[in-house]
Amino acid sequence: MYANFLHNYPTLTPTLSSIHAFTPKNHFTPNLRTEPLFLHLQPKKSRIIINCAANSDGVKGAVNWAEILDKWSPKKFLGADKLFRAISGATSSPIAQYIPAPFTFVHSVDPRVKLAWLFTLVILPAKSNVVIRLSLVAYLAILSILVQPSQVWKDQLGRVTLLSGILFIMLGLSTDSAPSLISSRAPPPSMMGLPSFPASLEGYKYVILKLGPLQLTRKGLSTATTSACLTFTIFQSASVFLSTTTPEQIAFALRWFISPLANLGVPVAEVILTLLLSLRFINLVFDEVRNVALGIVSRRINWQQMTMLEMIDVFFTYIRRIFRNIFVHAEQISQAMIVRGFRGDSTTHKIFLSADSSSGVANYISISCLFGLIALVTLPKYLIQ
Amino acid sequence: MIQSVCVRASALQLPSINCHRNAAMTDSFAIDAQNLSYSVVSRQGKLLPILKDCSLQVPSGQFWMLLGPNGCGKSTLLKILAGLLSPDEGFLYVERPRSFVYQNPDHQVVMPTVEADVAFGLGKLNLTPNEIKTRVAKALDAVGMYEYLKKPVHTLSGGQKQRVATAGALAEACKVLLLDELTTFLDETDQIGVIKAMRNSMDTSQGITALWVTHRLEELEFADGAVYMEDGRIIRQGDATSIRKFIEDKLASYVNQINL
Repeated sequence: MYANFLHNYPTLTPTLSSIHAFTPKNHFTPNLRTEPLFLHLQPKKSRIIINCAANSDGVKGAVNWAEILDKWSPKKFLGADKLFRAISGATSSPIAQYIPAPFTFVHSVDPRVKLAWLFTLVILPAKSNVVIRLSLVAYLAILSILVQPSQVWKDQLGRVTLLSGILFIMLGLSTDSAPSLISSRAPPPSMMGLPSFPASLEGYKYVILKLGPLQLTRKGLSTATTSACLTFTIFQSASVFLSTTTPEQIAFALRWFISPLANLGVPVAEVILTLLLSLRFINLVFDEVRNVALGIVSRRINWQQMTMLEMIDVFFTYIRRIFRNIFVHAEQISQAMIVRGFRGDSTTHKIFLSADSSSGVANYISISCLFGLIALVTLPKYLIQ
Repeated sequence: MIQSVCVRASALQLPSINCHRNAAMTDSFAIDAQNLSYSVVSRQGKLLPILKDCSLQVPSGQFWMLLGPNGCGKSTLLKILAGLLSPDEGFLYVERPRSFVYQNPDHQVVMPTVEADVAFGLGKLNLTPNEIKTRVAKALDAVGMYEYLKKPVHTLSGGQKQRVATAGALAEACKVLLLDELTTFLDETDQIGVIKAMRNSMDTSQGITALWVTHRLEELEFADGAVYMEDGRIIRQGDATSIRKFIEDKLASYVNQINL
């Protein structure tokens, strides 16, 4: 059966040639096929019977393992064809990338200032109260609407909002919804003739909302807003940062921040070169994953006719192929680096990281805003104390 | 690596007579190869000759093409000229500095943004940032890609990437450019675009010699001269029109042979 399939599709290339290895196993031994009944009459030779049953389609009564395996194969649930099609149609840059136009205010800020902003926005929501958290979220949303082209921010904001929304609901309702079963040792105040705790004069309520068995408490709200806002700010600020900063600027800013570590023996130049090379390589990897999937789809493999083992083999061939291609790429790139004058010493081979697109005014404004924000968040705590 | 290969090629295998001639030829020829041979050992342990007694000379400041059917050894010859492989025998002189541009631009472009990639080859030269900037701008301008300065490399088309790779070689201000079938993966518009960009940049900057490997006959009209290879041997070399005529005659005789 499988041999048939192979010959019906002559376009199958050496990529999948390892599948051929399967075919001999499915073939009959000729003298067994001619006398199947005789073999059935001799149950002691069980090994041969199994051989016969697995190989012949027509013999009844014997357990056909291939059929059982086929019945429970993942192709019924997964659809390998669909999977490969989805991979081959996916984008080659799933990570937010630099958008050079339109050139905005954020583009013109020095990458080091932007990096400082990024860190601050990641740390602040965990340290501040609900109002500041929510205003940070609103600020980031407005900033991305202003900075990114409409199709980018719609897509990005939609996904991040969905994720943080799910987190908010799940955490908010689940934090306090399962009250502890341990009862207190003292009897309730009403039994001892004491008045119960007076209700808060300011309308304070620990339980904010009750939805059947679920309840939203103050603790739940706090946890939910913290995690949802943190998720939102981390994803969204990274997206804004990446879409307004070239990889070289990121490398420049990082180098500036970690350069003091060079005194401690950290190979700063190598770290930065590796970062840049991997930023270039990451797209090649996604391209490769997509192209090999496209190669498999274009062979029009008849997945329905394949057994599970054969399908697993195709998947492994796919993964092996991806890795082989990626290693070939890496080797070629390293050779190209040598041809272009790189001698293995990243401290002497200077990489040109242009960061001159920043404007002074933009830098001053954004630095002062940053300090203002930090002051706004941290000062009230000290004032109260 | 290139340096060491060259030293080996010139120090070990060259008779002293050739070295004298080398000095005399330097003015007129940017690439001078005499009786180059190169072979590899196959898996069965057999010695497989790839280049057999190849001699070619490319005058400096000219744009030459290296033509031939697939598998005739064009790319191998180019790699030897670039110093990536060392020949088994023969004399080789290539003016320095020289640059090699790969067939697949994805193998050549190593940095994520156009500007940084073109500047990558300049890292060894110890230039000031301003000098680097002007050189990058000039090289990108020569291939008509200046407005792509800040673009991420993976958003470019194949032809654009190829031009970025060429700009990287140009920025190094090399004397000899060795270009390996740049137009293989490109469509017709991109093909002509890349070759015109190459021709323009050769015309604007003096003293660059280029050897362009191809198997597309129509590209010959942009060249000053050409070399025709077959089966590891150099069959003919001369000006572009005569080589073109030679190949067309060859084609015609082949077609006649089939028709008969």
